[in-house]
Amino acid sequence: MQNKYKVAALLAGLLSLNVPCALAEDNFGMWLVNFGRAKEVKPVTSEQYRSECGECHFAYPPGLLPEQSWQKLLTAEALKDHFGDNAEMDKQTLEAIRSYAFENSAEKSWYKRSRKIAKSVADGEAPLRITEVRYIKRTHQDIPEKMIKGNKDVKSQSFCNKCHTQAAKGIFDEDTVQIPNYPDWED
Amino acid sequence: MKFDMRLFGIAGSVLLAILSGAAHADAAPDMLSSTAIYTQDSKSYLLASNDTGVVAGQNASAGGLTTTAVQPAEYEPPLFSGSNAHKYLGLSTLALVALTAVTAPEEDEGTTPSTTSKTQGTHQSLGRLTAAMAAATVTTGLLSHWDDFAWEDGLTDPDNLHVLLGTAGALLMLNAVSKAPGNGHPGTGIAGGAAMAVAIKLTW
Repeated sequence: MQNKYKVAALLAGLLSLNVPCALAEDNFGMWLVNFGRAKEVKPVTSEQYRSECGECHFAYPPGLLPEQSWQKLLTAEALKDHFGDNAEMDKQTLEAIRSYAFENSAEKSWYKRSRKIAKSVADGEAPLRITEVRYIKRTHQDIPEKMIKGNKDVKSQSFCNKCHTQAAKGIFDEDTVQIPNYPDWED
Repeated sequence: MKFDMRLFGIAGSVLLAILSGAAHADAAPDMLSSTAIYTQDSKSYLLASNDTGVVAGQNASAGGLTTTAVQPAEYEPPLFSGSNAHKYLGLSTLALVALTAVTAPEEDEGTTPSTTSKTQGTHQSLGRLTAAMAAATVTTGLLSHWDDFAWEDGLTDPDNLHVLLGTAGALLMLNAVSKAPGNGHPGTGIAGGAAMAVAIKLTW
Protein backbone atom coordinates (compact mmCIF):
# COMPACT_ATOMS: atom_id res chain seq x y z
CA MET A 1 0.00 0.00 0.00
CA GLN A 2 1.39 3.38 -0.95
CA ASN A 3 2.21 5.84 1.79
CA LYS A 4 -0.34 8.38 0.67
CA TYR A 5 -3.15 5.83 0.95
CA LYS A 6 -1.98 4.94 4.45
CA VAL A 7 -1.99 8.60 5.45
CA ALA A 8 -5.44 9.09 3.92
CA ALA A 9 -6.81 6.02 5.72
CA LEU A 10 -5.31 7.21 9.00
CA LEU A 11 -6.82 10.68 8.61
CA ALA A 12 -10.20 9.21 7.71
CA GLY A 13 -10.05 7.00 10.79
CA LEU A 14 -9.18 9.94 13.03
CA LEU A 15 -11.99 12.00 11.56
CA SER A 16 -14.57 9.30 12.11
CA LEU A 17 -13.38 8.77 15.70
CA ASN A 18 -13.84 12.45 16.44
CA VAL A 19 -17.51 12.69 15.61
CA PRO A 20 -19.01 11.13 18.73
CA CYS A 21 -16.27 11.99 21.21
CA ALA A 22 -16.26 15.77 21.09
CA LEU A 23 -19.78 17.08 21.02
CA ALA A 24 -19.34 19.46 23.93
CA GLU A 25 -17.21 22.52 23.42
CA ASP A 26 -15.65 23.32 26.76
CA ASN A 27 -12.44 24.82 25.46
CA PHE A 28 -10.46 25.61 22.33
CA GLY A 29 -8.98 22.12 22.11
CA MET A 30 -12.39 20.52 22.30
CA TRP A 31 -13.75 22.96 19.76
CA LEU A 32 -10.87 22.19 17.43
CA VAL A 33 -11.48 18.47 17.42
CA ASN A 34 -15.25 18.77 17.57
CA PHE A 35 -16.83 18.03 14.21
CA GLY A 36 -20.38 18.58 15.45
CA ARG A 37 -21.86 21.81 14.14
CA ALA A 38 -21.25 24.86 16.33
CA LYS A 39 -22.13 27.69 14.00
CA GLU A 40 -25.13 28.97 15.91
CA VAL A 41 -25.82 29.32 19.63
CA LYS A 42 -25.61 26.50 22.13
CA PRO A 43 -29.19 25.42 22.87
CA VAL A 44 -30.42 25.38 26.45
CA THR A 45 -29.38 22.09 28.02
CA SER A 46 -30.44 22.73 31.63
CA GLU A 47 -33.95 21.54 32.32
CA GLN A 48 -34.12 23.77 35.40
CA TYR A 49 -33.14 26.87 33.39
CA ARG A 50 -35.61 25.97 30.67
CA SER A 51 -38.51 25.42 33.05
CA GLU A 52 -37.81 28.41 35.34
CA CYS A 53 -37.26 30.97 32.57
CA GLY A 54 -39.57 29.31 30.07
CA GLU A 55 -42.47 29.57 32.49
CA CYS A 56 -42.96 33.20 31.47
CA HIS A 57 -41.05 33.66 28.23
CA PHE A 58 -38.90 31.86 25.68
CA ALA A 59 -35.91 30.45 27.54
CA TYR A 60 -33.20 32.47 25.81
CA PRO A 61 -29.96 30.51 25.36
CA PRO A 62 -27.34 32.10 27.67
CA GLY A 63 -25.00 32.40 24.67
CA LEU A 64 -27.09 35.32 23.44
CA LEU A 65 -25.67 37.67 26.09
CA PRO A 66 -22.27 38.21 27.70
CA GLU A 67 -21.65 37.25 31.32
CA GLN A 68 -21.75 40.83 32.58
CA SER A 69 -25.32 41.11 31.29
CA TRP A 70 -26.42 37.96 33.10
CA GLN A 71 -24.70 39.23 36.22
CA LYS A 72 -26.90 42.31 36.18
CA LEU A 73 -30.07 40.50 35.19
CA LEU A 74 -29.89 37.55 37.54
CA THR A 75 -29.79 39.04 40.99
CA ALA A 76 -32.51 38.76 43.60
CA GLU A 77 -32.94 42.53 43.50
CA ALA A 78 -33.08 42.77 39.68
CA LEU A 79 -35.57 39.92 39.41
CA LYS A 80 -38.08 41.81 41.56
CA ASP A 81 -38.53 44.04 38.54
CA HIS A 82 -37.66 41.87 35.57
CA PHE A 83 -38.77 44.05 32.66
CA GLY A 84 -41.88 45.07 34.55
CA ASP A 85 -42.66 41.69 36.10
CA ASN A 86 -41.75 40.10 39.37
CA ALA A 87 -39.61 37.06 38.59
CA GLU A 88 -38.31 36.31 42.07
CA MET A 89 -37.19 32.77 42.80
CA ASP A 90 -35.71 30.99 45.79
CA LYS A 91 -32.02 31.45 46.53
CA GLN A 92 -30.99 27.92 45.56
CA THR A 93 -32.78 28.03 42.21
CA LEU A 94 -31.38 31.46 41.45
CA GLU A 95 -27.87 30.25 42.18
CA ALA A 96 -28.29 27.30 39.80
CA ILE A 97 -29.73 29.51 37.04
CA ARG A 98 -26.96 32.07 37.51
CA SER A 99 -24.23 29.44 37.33
CA TYR A 100 -25.70 27.94 34.19
CA ALA A 101 -26.06 31.34 32.50
CA PHE A 102 -22.51 32.40 33.44
CA GLU A 103 -20.94 29.13 32.28
CA ASN A 104 -22.67 29.34 28.92
CA SER A 105 -22.54 33.08 28.31
CA ALA A 106 -21.54 34.43 24.90
CA GLU A 107 -17.84 35.04 25.56
CA LYS A 108 -17.37 31.57 27.07
CA SER A 109 -18.92 29.77 24.12
CA TRP A 110 -17.17 28.50 21.01
CA TYR A 111 -20.39 28.61 19.04
CA LYS A 112 -19.93 31.02 16.16
CA ARG A 113 -22.91 33.29 16.69
CA SER A 114 -22.15 33.60 20.40
CA ARG A 115 -18.57 34.56 19.57
CA LYS A 116 -19.88 37.24 17.23
CA ILE A 117 -22.21 38.53 19.93
CA ALA A 118 -19.37 38.64 22.47
CA LYS A 119 -17.12 40.46 20.01
CA SER A 120 -19.75 43.09 19.31
CA VAL A 121 -20.09 44.01 22.99
CA ALA A 122 -17.55 46.56 24.17
CA ASP A 123 -15.52 46.00 27.34
CA GLY A 124 -17.55 46.93 30.38
CA GLU A 125 -20.75 47.12 28.37
CA ALA A 126 -23.64 45.05 29.73
CA PRO A 127 -26.69 45.15 27.48
CA LEU A 128 -29.76 44.11 29.45
CA ARG A 129 -31.76 43.20 26.40
CA ILE A 130 -30.66 40.85 23.63
CA THR A 131 -32.13 43.31 21.16
CA GLU A 132 -29.65 45.92 22.40
CA VAL A 133 -26.62 43.85 21.43
CA ARG A 134 -24.88 45.55 18.52
CA TYR A 135 -24.62 42.35 16.47
CA ILE A 136 -28.31 41.55 16.93
CA LYS A 137 -29.24 45.12 16.03
CA ARG A 138 -27.16 44.98 12.87
CA THR A 139 -28.57 41.67 11.70
CA HIS A 140 -32.13 42.89 12.14
CA GLN A 141 -31.79 46.45 10.89
CA ASP A 142 -33.14 45.73 7.42
CA ILE A 143 -36.34 44.16 8.64
CA PRO A 144 -39.19 46.68 8.31
CA GLU A 145 -41.06 47.61 11.50
CA LYS A 146 -44.33 46.46 10.00
CA MET A 147 -43.03 42.88 10.09
CA ILE A 148 -42.16 43.03 13.79
CA LYS A 149 -43.84 45.78 15.82
CA GLY A 150 -46.66 46.19 13.35
CA ASN A 151 -47.18 42.44 13.06
CA LYS A 152 -49.93 41.23 15.37
CA ASP A 153 -48.33 37.81 15.59
CA VAL A 154 -44.86 39.06 16.50
CA LYS A 155 -45.19 42.48 18.18
CA SER A 156 -41.61 42.67 19.43
CA GLN A 157 -38.13 41.49 18.53
CA SER A 158 -37.94 40.02 22.02
CA PHE A 159 -40.12 37.12 20.90
CA CYS A 160 -37.28 35.51 18.93
CA ASN A 161 -39.08 32.22 18.50
CA LYS A 162 -42.00 33.84 16.69
CA CYS A 163 -39.87 34.15 13.56
CA HIS A 164 -36.81 31.99 14.29
CA THR A 165 -38.59 28.69 14.00
CA GLN A 166 -35.69 26.70 15.43
CA ALA A 167 -34.68 29.10 18.18
CA ALA A 168 -35.22 26.41 20.79
CA LYS A 169 -32.45 24.42 19.10
CA GLY A 170 -30.22 27.48 19.13
CA ILE A 171 -30.52 27.91 15.37
CA PHE A 172 -31.02 31.47 14.17
CA ASP A 173 -29.94 31.39 10.52
CA GLU A 174 -31.94 32.95 7.72
CA ASP A 175 -33.08 29.64 6.27
CA THR A 176 -35.10 28.91 9.40
CA VAL A 177 -36.81 32.30 9.59
CA GLN A 178 -40.51 32.46 8.89
CA ILE A 179 -42.14 35.78 9.73
CA PRO A 180 -45.82 35.27 10.52
CA ASN A 181 -48.08 36.91 7.92
CA TYR A 182 -45.09 37.63 5.68
CA PRO A 183 -44.24 34.37 3.91
CA ASP A 184 -42.18 36.25 1.34
CA TRP A 185 -40.35 38.46 3.84
CA GLU A 186 -37.04 38.16 1.98
CA ASP A 187 -38.39 39.76 -1.20
CA MET B 1 -71.63 69.09 -21.62
CA LYS B 2 -68.55 68.85 -23.79
CA PHE B 3 -66.53 70.55 -21.01
CA ASP B 4 -67.88 68.13 -18.41
CA MET B 5 -66.86 65.17 -20.52
CA ARG B 6 -63.33 66.57 -20.85
CA LEU B 7 -63.10 67.03 -17.06
CA PHE B 8 -64.36 63.52 -16.57
CA GLY B 9 -61.70 62.22 -18.98
CA ILE B 10 -58.93 64.17 -17.22
CA ALA B 11 -60.04 62.93 -13.82
CA GLY B 12 -60.15 59.37 -15.12
CA SER B 13 -56.65 59.66 -16.61
CA VAL B 14 -55.25 61.06 -13.38
CA LEU B 15 -56.87 58.25 -11.42
CA LEU B 16 -55.42 55.63 -13.77
CA ALA B 17 -52.00 57.26 -13.57
CA ILE B 18 -52.14 57.20 -9.77
CA LEU B 19 -53.18 53.56 -9.75
CA SER B 20 -50.47 52.50 -12.18
CA GLY B 21 -47.89 54.51 -10.22
CA ALA B 22 -48.97 52.88 -6.98
CA ALA B 23 -48.63 49.47 -8.52
CA HIS B 24 -44.98 50.14 -9.33
CA ALA B 25 -44.09 52.15 -6.26
CA ASP B 26 -41.66 50.81 -3.68
CA ALA B 27 -44.36 51.03 -1.09
CA ALA B 28 -46.59 48.71 -3.07
CA PRO B 29 -46.00 45.72 -0.73
CA ASP B 30 -47.65 47.79 2.02
CA MET B 31 -50.90 47.60 0.15
CA LEU B 32 -52.62 44.33 0.80
CA SER B 33 -53.75 42.65 -2.35
CA SER B 34 -57.12 40.99 -2.28
CA THR B 35 -55.47 37.55 -2.11
CA ALA B 36 -53.35 38.62 0.85
CA ILE B 37 -56.46 39.76 2.70
CA TYR B 38 -58.14 36.48 1.86
CA THR B 39 -55.21 34.45 3.19
CA GLN B 40 -55.06 36.40 6.43
CA ASP B 41 -58.76 36.13 7.09
CA SER B 42 -59.01 32.51 6.16
CA LYS B 43 -56.18 31.55 8.49
CA SER B 44 -57.00 33.84 11.36
CA TYR B 45 -58.99 31.17 13.16
CA LEU B 46 -55.99 28.83 12.97
CA LEU B 47 -53.68 31.40 14.55
CA ALA B 48 -56.18 32.00 17.33
CA SER B 49 -56.91 28.38 18.07
CA ASN B 50 -53.26 27.48 18.15
CA ASP B 51 -52.37 30.17 20.58
CA THR B 52 -51.57 28.42 23.85
CA GLY B 53 -53.29 31.06 25.93
CA VAL B 54 -56.47 30.89 23.92
CA VAL B 55 -56.57 27.09 24.01
CA ALA B 56 -55.94 27.11 27.76
CA GLY B 57 -58.75 29.62 28.18
CA GLN B 58 -61.10 27.53 26.09
CA ASN B 59 -60.32 24.44 28.13
CA ALA B 60 -60.91 26.28 31.38
CA SER B 61 -64.20 27.77 30.24
CA ALA B 62 -65.36 24.40 28.99
CA GLY B 63 -65.08 23.07 32.54
CA GLY B 64 -62.24 20.69 31.79
CA LEU B 65 -63.73 19.52 28.54
CA THR B 66 -60.75 18.98 26.27
CA THR B 67 -60.88 20.70 22.93
CA THR B 68 -58.25 19.67 20.44
CA ALA B 69 -56.53 22.40 18.53
CA VAL B 70 -54.87 21.77 15.21
CA GLN B 71 -51.17 22.28 15.80
CA PRO B 72 -49.37 24.33 13.16
CA ALA B 73 -47.12 22.32 10.92
CA GLU B 74 -43.49 22.70 11.94
CA TYR B 75 -41.65 24.97 9.57
CA GLU B 76 -39.35 23.05 7.31
CA PRO B 77 -36.31 25.02 6.19
CA PRO B 78 -35.84 24.90 2.41
CA LEU B 79 -33.77 21.98 1.19
CA PHE B 80 -32.23 24.07 -1.52
CA SER B 81 -30.99 27.49 -0.52
CA GLY B 82 -27.95 29.61 -1.28
CA SER B 83 -26.60 28.77 2.15
CA ASN B 84 -26.98 25.02 1.64
CA ALA B 85 -25.48 25.20 -1.85
CA HIS B 86 -22.45 27.01 -0.41
CA LYS B 87 -22.08 24.44 2.37
CA TYR B 88 -22.22 21.40 0.10
CA LEU B 89 -19.97 22.97 -2.52
CA GLY B 90 -17.38 23.69 0.18
CA LEU B 91 -17.50 20.17 1.56
CA SER B 92 -17.33 18.69 -1.94
CA THR B 93 -14.31 20.86 -2.69
CA LEU B 94 -12.52 19.46 0.35
CA ALA B 95 -13.35 15.91 -0.69
CA LEU B 96 -12.05 16.67 -4.19
CA VAL B 97 -8.83 18.12 -2.76
CA ALA B 98 -8.25 14.80 -0.99
CA LEU B 99 -9.07 12.81 -4.14
CA THR B 100 -6.80 14.99 -6.25
CA ALA B 101 -3.95 14.48 -3.78
CA VAL B 102 -4.51 10.74 -3.67
CA THR B 103 -4.53 10.40 -7.47
CA ALA B 104 -1.29 12.34 -7.91
CA PRO B 105 1.01 10.19 -10.07
CA GLU B 106 4.18 8.90 -8.40
CA GLU B 107 6.91 8.79 -10.98
CA ASP B 108 9.49 7.03 -8.87
CA GLU B 109 7.61 3.83 -8.15
CA GLY B 110 8.32 2.05 -11.39
CA THR B 111 4.95 2.63 -13.01
CA THR B 112 4.71 2.06 -16.72
CA PRO B 113 4.37 5.17 -18.89
CA SER B 114 0.78 4.29 -19.85
CA THR B 115 -0.31 3.92 -16.22
CA THR B 116 1.38 7.19 -15.29
CA SER B 117 -0.31 8.95 -18.14
CA LYS B 118 -3.74 7.56 -17.14
CA THR B 119 -3.25 8.56 -13.49
CA GLN B 120 -2.03 11.96 -14.55
CA GLY B 121 -5.15 12.42 -16.64
CA THR B 122 -7.40 11.60 -13.67
CA HIS B 123 -5.33 13.82 -11.38
CA GLN B 124 -5.46 16.66 -13.90
CA SER B 125 -9.22 16.41 -14.35
CA LEU B 126 -9.82 16.22 -10.61
CA GLY B 127 -7.52 19.20 -10.06
CA ARG B 128 -9.45 21.31 -12.55
CA LEU B 129 -12.78 20.20 -11.10
CA THR B 130 -11.55 21.05 -7.58
CA ALA B 131 -10.50 24.55 -8.63
CA ALA B 132 -13.85 25.09 -10.38
CA MET B 133 -15.74 23.89 -7.30
CA ALA B 134 -13.65 26.16 -5.08
CA ALA B 135 -14.50 29.14 -7.28
CA ALA B 136 -18.20 28.19 -7.19
CA THR B 137 -18.03 27.86 -3.40
CA VAL B 138 -16.59 31.36 -3.04
CA THR B 139 -19.19 32.79 -5.43
CA THR B 140 -22.16 31.19 -3.65
CA GLY B 141 -20.70 32.26 -0.30
CA LEU B 142 -20.46 35.87 -1.39
CA LEU B 143 -23.99 35.79 -2.75
CA SER B 144 -25.71 34.05 0.15
CA HIS B 145 -23.67 35.24 3.14
CA TRP B 146 -22.78 38.78 2.14
CA ASP B 147 -24.52 40.14 5.26
CA ASP B 148 -22.33 38.07 7.59
CA PHE B 149 -19.20 39.80 6.41
CA ALA B 150 -18.44 43.06 8.25
CA TRP B 151 -15.03 44.70 8.31
CA GLU B 152 -15.85 46.54 11.51
CA ASP B 153 -15.72 43.22 13.39
CA GLY B 154 -12.02 42.91 12.64
CA LEU B 155 -9.85 40.10 11.36
CA THR B 156 -10.52 37.81 14.27
CA ASP B 157 -14.20 37.61 13.47
CA PRO B 158 -14.92 34.01 12.39
CA ASP B 159 -16.94 35.05 9.34
CA ASN B 160 -14.30 37.53 8.17
CA LEU B 161 -11.58 34.93 8.58
CA HIS B 162 -13.76 32.40 6.79
CA VAL B 163 -14.09 34.72 3.79
CA LEU B 164 -10.38 35.53 3.67
CA LEU B 165 -9.15 31.97 4.10
CA GLY B 166 -11.78 30.53 1.77
CA THR B 167 -10.96 33.01 -0.98
CA ALA B 168 -7.22 32.53 -0.48
CA GLY B 169 -7.73 28.76 -0.63
CA ALA B 170 -9.65 29.00 -3.89
CA LEU B 171 -7.02 31.30 -5.41
CA LEU B 172 -4.22 28.94 -4.38
CA MET B 173 -6.05 26.02 -5.97
CA LEU B 174 -6.55 27.97 -9.20
CA ASN B 175 -2.89 28.90 -9.11
CA ALA B 176 -1.88 25.26 -8.58
CA VAL B 177 -3.91 24.19 -11.60
CA SER B 178 -2.50 26.96 -13.76
CA LYS B 179 1.13 26.08 -13.02
CA ALA B 180 0.74 22.27 -13.11
CA PRO B 181 2.50 20.03 -13.90
CA GLY B 182 5.58 20.67 -11.83
CA ASN B 183 6.57 24.12 -10.59
CA GLY B 184 5.75 23.19 -7.01
CA HIS B 185 2.04 22.99 -7.76
CA PRO B 186 1.39 20.18 -5.21
CA GLY B 187 2.44 22.43 -2.34
CA THR B 188 0.26 25.27 -3.58
CA GLY B 189 -2.72 22.97 -4.05
CA ILE B 190 -2.35 21.42 -0.60
CA ALA B 191 -1.97 24.87 0.98
CA GLY B 192 -5.18 25.91 -0.79
CA GLY B 193 -6.99 22.85 0.53
CA ALA B 194 -5.71 23.47 4.06
CA ALA B 195 -6.80 27.12 3.95
CA MET B 196 -10.25 26.07 2.85
CA ALA B 197 -10.45 23.36 5.53
CA VAL B 198 -9.61 25.90 8.26
CA ALA B 199 -12.11 28.35 6.76
CA ILE B 200 -14.84 25.72 6.96
CA LYS B 201 -13.94 24.71 10.51
CA LEU B 202 -14.11 28.33 11.71
CA THR B 203 -17.77 28.65 10.80
CA TRP B 204 -18.88 25.01 11.00
